[in-house]
Amino acid sequence: MTEENKHCYIKEGKLALPYQYFAGRVGSKFLVSLRDKKKILGVKCEKCGKVFIPPRKTCERCFEDISEKWVELSNEGEVTNFTVVRTDDKHHPRKAPYVLAMIKLGGADTPIAHILGGVDPDSVKTGMKVKAVFADKAVNTMLQIDRFEPVN
Amino acid sequence: MAKYFDVSVEDIFNTMEARFRVEGAKGVNAVLAYDISGDGGGKWLVEVRDDSVKVAKTDDLSGFSVKTSADAETFVGVNIGKIDGTQAFMSGKIKIEGDMALVAASAKMFTRYSLPKKSAVTVQGIFDTLVARFQPQNAAGLDISVGYDITGEDGGQWTAVIKDGKCALETGLRDNCAVVNIVKAKDYIDLILGKLDPMVAMGAGRLKLKGDMNVAMQLPKIFAKFEPPKEEEEQELIVIKRNISVDMKYSTGPVMGKFFEGLIEKKILANKCPKCGRMQVPPREVCAECRCWAGDMIEVGPSGTITLIEIIYYSSPDPLTGETRETPYAQVHILLDGIGTEETFWHLLKNEDLADTKKGDRVRPVWSDKRVGSVHDIIHFERIRD
Repeated sequence: MTEENKHCYIKEGKLALPYQYFAGRVGSKFLVSLRDKKKILGVKCEKCGKVFIPPRKTCERCFEDISEKWVELSNEGEVTNFTVVRTDDKHHPRKAPYVLAMIKLGGADTPIAHILGGVDPDSVKTGMKVKAVFADKAVNTMLQIDRFEPVN
Repeated sequence: MAKYFDVSVEDIFNTMEARFRVEGAKGVNAVLAYDISGDGGGKWLVEVRDDSVKVAKTDDLSGFSVKTSADAETFVGVNIGKIDGTQAFMSGKIKIEGDMALVAASAKMFTRYSLPKKSAVTVQGIFDTLVARFQPQNAAGLDISVGYDITGEDGGQWTAVIKDGKCALETGLRDNCAVVNIVKAKDYIDLILGKLDPMVAMGAGRLKLKGDMNVAMQLPKIFAKFEPPKEEEEQELIVIKRNISVDMKYSTGPVMGKFFEGLIEKKILANKCPKCGRMQVPPREVCAECRCWAGDMIEVGPSGTITLIEIIYYSSPDPLTGETRETPYAQVHILLDGIGTEETFWHLLKNEDLADTKKGDRVRPVWSDKRVGSVHDIIHFERIRD
């Protein structure tokens, strides 16, 4: 330690930002169904026929109110795209390496992004058949589906 | 009883014991006094002791820990969430005397007052469905009028005119009714919902039938049973509270570093400008006035005089934890002894001193036992009362 930096210190600090997220009426029904019935719900636009997941209030194409047009989707689907996360960050849901995949569920027209587990990251392929594994505890977020795993 | 937003002051106090939350009142022993002025007002004492609560209307408010005075409308509005409490306090509509921290704590001790649910079934609602409930196959050949004289609040008079296998409903009572049902609105709803037996009601004189009893006996066949509208189940709405926490690092540099070293030794260090002689605390690299390198470290204080008090009622989150500090609390600007006349040092005031401390009062630091070189090595400043 030189004379110049003798009195210099590095102080650890934090910038904590509390926030509150409201899932909304449509989002809440979706999450409660995942939690209590282990059923994945989407909404269908009766005008264009598209089935959206996660459910939303308004059809993004027709601007129709679709908030009450619930349809039950399959717990199984196929990988349409994926990426392998290879860096660690405390905000990430898993230790690296893990797979984030776009999964199109049976009955849906839009894919959802989720964690794909139970598989070697290097052997994931698009078109792979996967199924939802639900969390045991109440999570009340999209991680109420804990992960997807390949269907054997 | 005067009502504000459909609620009376009495409603608030009468439900207070039922709204008490033991988990929110842990360790609280206090007497909360309320002096509510205006129509429907009065004086109440709410005693919270050993995880229980006692609410009493009284004339004598002496011996309170904190007293809240407000007009009836403001009081009800704040309690049911229609009026912002902080704003009402700032504008002087609510006055608080005594331990102010208890007022904030009382929000945790009681759940919010909510309006009792009104029955979804109304007399009007029953008559709205009467024609739809008419059973023509059970009314063949009938040519009669049935009168309903529903008395009391939300009542009214109706006549069902049955002819040629059809039913029409008129308001008011026809003179030629074969039979007239005379009953209070509340009893009528209970009769229709099956909560009140017609025979019992007649025996007790709560249901009177004027006219042809035979027609009256046929009525349950002529009209199908009323199905109350299903109450919509309240949807569970999901709200998630989280904290994003980003790690930060702060490099002190040698000047601030020396200031922190001083705090560990219970010393508050300032530095002095060699040119203008001004003192700076916390010390900085250069003099803010002359822009020359500031010089030697000089110990000041640790006692001082308050030049400004800032009382915080609406607190922002602590960046270290994301938790919001309990309010009210006070920040003070202190002119430390030996610093001169301008350069104040900022810190917190001890909560117990909040009620009676003012500008010009003398304060001293309360040091933490575990000092690590941080502004929190001083817990807060307290009043010197000797």
